[in-house]
Amino acid sequence: MVTQYVKIPLDRIGVLIGHNGIVKEGIEKKSETRIEVDSKEGEVCIESIEGGDPVKALRVVDVIKAIGRGFSPEKAFALLEDDFLLIDVISIAHLTPKMLKRVKGRVIGRNGRTRRVIENLADVKISVYGKTIGIIGYSHQIRTAHEAIEMLINGAPHSAVYSLLERKRREEERNFFADESRERE
Amino acid sequence: MAVEKWVIAHIFSSFNNTIITITDMTGAETIARASGGMIAKADRDESSPYTAMQMATQLADKLKEREIWGIHVKVKASPGRKARTTAPGAQAAIRAFARAGLRIGKIEDVTPVPHDGTKRPGGKRGRRV
Repeated sequence: MVTQYVKIPLDRIGVLIGHNGIVKEGIEKKSETRIEVDSKEGEVCIESIEGGDPVKALRVVDVIKAIGRGFSPEKAFALLEDDFLLIDVISIAHLTPKMLKRVKGRVIGRNGRTRRVIENLADVKISVYGKTIGIIGYSHQIRTAHEAIEMLINGAPHSAVYSLLERKRREEERNFFADESRERE
Repeated sequence: MAVEKWVIAHIFSSFNNTIITITDMTGAETIARASGGMIAKADRDESSPYTAMQMATQLADKLKEREIWGIHVKVKASPGRKARTTAPGAQAAIRAFARAGLRIGKIEDVTPVPHDGTKRPGGKRGRRV
């Protein structure tokens, strides 16, 4: 039996537990673990159950981290269902409060436009919350999205970021077809 | 089999490679090992989950010869300032070990985490292009 600890922000505790505890129960059932939440400190304690799937016990930490980083439980659950999905967290805590606000606005865009464009072109889920930006997706997609967001943080114009994303997307499609034709040979 | 033989699989997975080293319980004696380049031809495939799966199945065959019953897993990601999430290889490898009929014991994340760490590159005024 292995115990793991995660700390999440206090305002996300409510989301983690859910209405009457449905979200927490859902995680426990799907991941075959037992979860205890300290709602004063924000500490979450995960205990794996004897005979449960050990991989899922490892993954559930990522799920809880994702919820703590502002993702909805539905998006976080995808991490349990698909083994190859990963979560990446970019910290922007080193910025001054004024810069933080501006940078978050740059990543989200008007009415969430920039975020939506990155999500669609790189096929990831993005959550801007507090002092972090979370990305959920497959490893190569995360790399693209990470690069794009890093550019936005460093002040690149949005148009440059969009064209980077489009170029990467085209490259990927080409690689995909190349792989397929090689397999057929 | 009277005795349950356990070993440790140290899985290091970064975004460029996956290395699996299998040792005995002390961690001092290496039993078998595999890395991405032993299977994948292209450099960019070394870290792919599919490669990790093949590595794990090959290693599982070697372990079966030695009548090993179960494995404990220690997962490590790239340390330091880089992405601290475990790269795709680890999960695929663990799944493949389980599917090959090995018992999975404890899974532990042993990524070294700095208490303060090194400075991010780029200097005070950021990366200037």
